[in-house]
Amino acid sequence: MSTMTLNPLRIYADIWHNRYLLGQLIKRDVLMRYRGAMFGVLWVFLSPLIMLTIFAFIFGHIFQARWPQQDAGVPFWLLLYSGLIAFNLFAETISRAPTSVRGHPSFVKKIIFPVNILPVVPLGAALVHAGFNFLILLAALSLTGHLHAGIMLFPLLVTPLLLLALGLSWFLAAWGVFLKDMTQIVPVFVQMLLFLSPVFYPVSAVPEVLRPIYHYNPLGAVIETTRATVAAQSIEWGAWGIAVGFCLLAAILGYAFFQHSRDEFADAL
Amino acid sequence: MRSDIVISVKNLTKTYRIFGHPGDRIKQALTFGKMRFHREFTALQDISFDIKKGETVGIVGRNGSGKSTLLQLLCGILKPTSGSVKVNGRISALLELGAGFNPEFTGRENVYFQGAVMGLTKEEMDSRFNDIAAFADLGDFIDQPVRIYSSGMFVRLAFAVAVHVDPDILIIDEVLAVGDAIFQQKCINLMSKLQSQGTSIIVVSHNPYHIERLCHQAAVLHRGKLSELKPAKEILAQYHEMVQEDMIPPPVKNASLREGSHELYFEQVLIENASTSGTNNILTTEPMRIIAEVFARRPMDNVRFRFELCSSSNDIVAVVATNGLSEDWQLNGKHRISFTINPCQLTSGWYYLNAIAGSKYVRLDTWQRVIDFKVLLRNKRAQDLSLDQGIFICQGHWEFS
Repeated sequence: MSTMTLNPLRIYADIWHNRYLLGQLIKRDVLMRYRGAMFGVLWVFLSPLIMLTIFAFIFGHIFQARWPQQDAGVPFWLLLYSGLIAFNLFAETISRAPTSVRGHPSFVKKIIFPVNILPVVPLGAALVHAGFNFLILLAALSLTGHLHAGIMLFPLLVTPLLLLALGLSWFLAAWGVFLKDMTQIVPVFVQMLLFLSPVFYPVSAVPEVLRPIYHYNPLGAVIETTRATVAAQSIEWGAWGIAVGFCLLAAILGYAFFQHSRDEFADAL
Repeated sequence: MRSDIVISVKNLTKTYRIFGHPGDRIKQALTFGKMRFHREFTALQDISFDIKKGETVGIVGRNGSGKSTLLQLLCGILKPTSGSVKVNGRISALLELGAGFNPEFTGRENVYFQGAVMGLTKEEMDSRFNDIAAFADLGDFIDQPVRIYSSGMFVRLAFAVAVHVDPDILIIDEVLAVGDAIFQQKCINLMSKLQSQGTSIIVVSHNPYHIERLCHQAAVLHRGKLSELKPAKEILAQYHEMVQEDMIPPPVKNASLREGSHELYFEQVLIENASTSGTNNILTTEPMRIIAEVFARRPMDNVRFRFELCSSSNDIVAVVATNGLSEDWQLNGKHRISFTINPCQLTSGWYYLNAIAGSKYVRLDTWQRVIDFKVLLRNKRAQDLSLDQGIFICQGHWEFS
């Protein structure tokens, strides 16, 4: 039976132990979304491409927008896009987290199943999408002639966000089992977060008083640092380091909460 | 735990908390359980038993007796309210038809997925796939989405996967009933093979034949309490008796219908068993006597009496009549007629009686469903229980040459 644990190695071991099943679940999840569609899995590639094209058109040609601090180099629409990759990774995961367990009652009640990996599935699927988004970003950077080696830090810089998303996903999945309203609440929250996090604006544009909030919250810090690496600017490792610690804590607490409440899942569903 | 014991259950109790509203669960959690928003329902009470390696145990019980809850607890899907379940080995469970199957994916994909759920890698499943496909016998359907499968195909595939993942313990909950006789036979043969390989099996079934054929031991689960594990035959007899006790008479459709001229009428119709008059419990193996008290308002003869025995599904099972016998009976005032069936011979269940009296030309008294009675089969010998089917238990003798 499940036991509550605060040991991060335990989390790793539990996931690693079920890696094959988890892989299958993620594969199913991604394929399910496109099964039956005419273009099939091609959509994984098509939808971000369409989005980026629209970005390029609107922000590159219509608005001709620039951020005040933006000196040169990478076009504005690519900076927006790179911030969105990180944000979408997070948003997609937590939007789907509340249904990740609730949506599979038979896994909880009718078969012997490691339920604790279910909330990892939305993250896995979001990672697949983020991977394609990243490839498109690379392609766009090289086409516009702004590709540089520093971009390879991008995946590393995103990792704290994965931990945060995972921790919240476990937390929200457990709450989602007990409270169906979570499926309504989270998307609204995510929408608000899109405008509250520095995706469409840099932290430097935020009034001085509010800036620490942006600096020290992991979502803001990760978006800022990933964008900095795309723009080949210097990275604020301090803020990023704080984010790592914070996100690790979130993952540990989220997992502990999930494991603590999972005994009641079968009764509640 | 001794090494040859694969499942050890000690003082297991499961109480469900039933919340009237989904938010109540949260409210209770927020008050740290200080305020109670739930009712409690005890599904299982203080259950203890051990199952040894290679042993097959059958569990019988009526709907709602807690069978599924018990199996879910054994699988670790539910958490005990108190007591413990210790399992030593890998469980493969078939609790509900198609649970864990994704309807959009093909049979083949689902087989591999189930394997992954059981902790088997692709390579391990590759080596088993042909056996699974052969057992499920789906032909080309194995590469079709599972949603188009019939329930028979579904159960074949699900069962095939469950038994081919080399479980130490196999738990089967009443799913075999979906398959046809040939498939059930195949399942039983395969389970016998698993038994000989040392797999422990727990079966829930309403089919006494399956329990008797497969299980070394069995137990009855009744209102959350489990009987001792005993040889399957004894348990089946006990269960059969219990089911008979609980049988309820069929609902009365249009009350007791009565018509006729009533120049002669039934005052009372009773049933008598070997010991008591006016009962409505009859044993199959004992004589049953139908007694009617009639009253004739004027002197008359040429009257015929007739009793119809009807089953709870309103079919006439037998008719007894005085035709060719009672025509010269001289009736005036009160009389008593009776007919004895010896032995009763009916299979267990509820029956009712129609009483009819008529002269050559007029209907004197037709009394439908004048009395309900219950026939019971009391016999500890399990082989007799298998005869408790159909309408009546035939008496006769065999010859062999």
